[in-house]
Amino acid sequence: MTSPFALCIYTILGLGLLGLPIGYSMIAGSILYLLLANLDLGTSAEQILNGLYSSYVLLAVPLFLFSAELMNVSKMTDQLLRFCDMLVGRFRGGLGHINIVQSIIFAGMSGSAIADLAATGRISIDMMTRNNRYPVSYAAAITAASAVIGPIIPPSIPMVLYALISDTSVGYLFLGGVIPGLLMALAQMVINTIMAHRHNFPVEKPIPLREWPAITATAIPALLMPVILLGGIYGGVMTPTEAAAVAAAYAFLVAVLWYRNITASDTYLAVLNSARSTASIGMLIAGALVFNYVVTIEQIPATVRSLLAGYDLSPTMFLLWVNIILLALGCLLEGSTIILVILPIFIPTAKALGIDLVHFGVIAVFNIMIGLITPPYGLLLFIISAISGAPLRSIIRDTMPFVIAMIVALAIITFIPETVLWLPRLMGYKG
Amino acid sequence: MFLCFILQIVARYVFNYPLGWTDEVSVLCWIWCTLWGAVFVLRERDEVRFDIIYSNASEKTRRIFTIITGIGTVVLFGIALPAVIAYVTFLKVERSAYLGIRLDILYSIYVLFSVAVIVRYAALTWLALRGKAPEISLGSGSAL
Repeated sequence: MTSPFALCIYTILGLGLLGLPIGYSMIAGSILYLLLANLDLGTSAEQILNGLYSSYVLLAVPLFLFSAELMNVSKMTDQLLRFCDMLVGRFRGGLGHINIVQSIIFAGMSGSAIADLAATGRISIDMMTRNNRYPVSYAAAITAASAVIGPIIPPSIPMVLYALISDTSVGYLFLGGVIPGLLMALAQMVINTIMAHRHNFPVEKPIPLREWPAITATAIPALLMPVILLGGIYGGVMTPTEAAAVAAAYAFLVAVLWYRNITASDTYLAVLNSARSTASIGMLIAGALVFNYVVTIEQIPATVRSLLAGYDLSPTMFLLWVNIILLALGCLLEGSTIILVILPIFIPTAKALGIDLVHFGVIAVFNIMIGLITPPYGLLLFIISAISGAPLRSIIRDTMPFVIAMIVALAIITFIPETVLWLPRLMGYKG
Repeated sequence: MFLCFILQIVARYVFNYPLGWTDEVSVLCWIWCTLWGAVFVLRERDEVRFDIIYSNASEKTRRIFTIITGIGTVVLFGIALPAVIAYVTFLKVERSAYLGIRLDILYSIYVLFSVAVIVRYAALTWLALRGKAPEISLGSGSAL
């Protein structure tokens, strides 16, 4: 490694640690590198502009954000809760199960854990804590934990980002996420059952069979969303980006025509919020684009490969280490930063070791999502604490069993690649 | 900026016709949304940053942090600015594939972006020197 590159890294780290937004830090560090390496400084502009210009798949990100925002303001959640109650309310710890099933359905509509949490959080927690039936910290913990399922079951914003840096197919990544997502839900339901029996949580009154059709009917527009999305992508009708646009339009139509509870100011708010998120993630992508250019001219992937060749690392060991490193980083860093900045360092090695990149991507996203609920930097924990009013410490305590269960699920999908790859292969993935 | 989204969606519906310009419009919207939004719409608290150290630091330390990062940003973006302008104006010889708009016009947003970043961080530095550190609430700016 030449010293301009080292200086570039120090600058990025230094500025970043002192609180400059990560996107700006990466651009600033890369400019310094170009300066020291006597390269044209205009390259920074060139990389960002051309990178943004040619990354058509990234357009899915703002669109997914927008549809999630729309679903939040249209209160689709209320209808869904009834439907979930119908399915799993009768079991012990019923409301906990309802919470998880609802997250699965929401996961099929939105690609963002934070959006899922914002959409379902308050209602679920209110319902669980009414009449002191569940402790508020447990309600908050299970709501945060189940929101993590969101970006693992397609659609998924982090997977779109991963597709960008790894050059894999978004469609196959999405498919790969289905079984792991369900596995994660299963792991959480096991924990919920155990906790429910231990603390004797209440059971919901079963909903009579004759009410089932009506309840299902009101939930249908929401349930149809994943069908349209995935059907469209895998039927070959739409690219993932187009599917994202269709999803946004569909969410809008459902809110306006079916539930009829969305106002102009709601829509404006949804647009504004998604625009904000788009810009903040866009900056990060811009930074990653220049930085990746620097990494490429420094031939870091080749260096890493030759370095690793000396260690005789087996794919299993590598995956184990990546998981440990990512889990540790997930406690400290924001998820999209990990995907756009840290993962590109691992990908060449994964490729060299013959690890399937779809498998690797799903593992990484799964892992990073766990990072959303691990302290000290667990974004979902902060949000849920703000929503529920429960102190952070007690939420963290109650989240721990879920985190452990999720790490077990992570181990399963890591070491049994079929759990991820079976579905994509069924649909024609050759990997 | 808000129209971008609507436009993108509508553009996609025209997709049944193999029209290339809808692609181009959406991609351009995306570039403009990102760069324009980053400097003019985002509030400090929407930014994605590593804030563990900053948010636990004292008021005085924060000011020093802000001054260091501010100067660093202004200097580095400032050094790159002439080259950036040169790059963008050089592109006047090229036109976009479908719409035939001159690329230097389309890409001019980056120059605007650079200038705005410099001005913004110069202002933040100035404020910090005058004794005001920007308040940052814990990471709200994530899209995951």
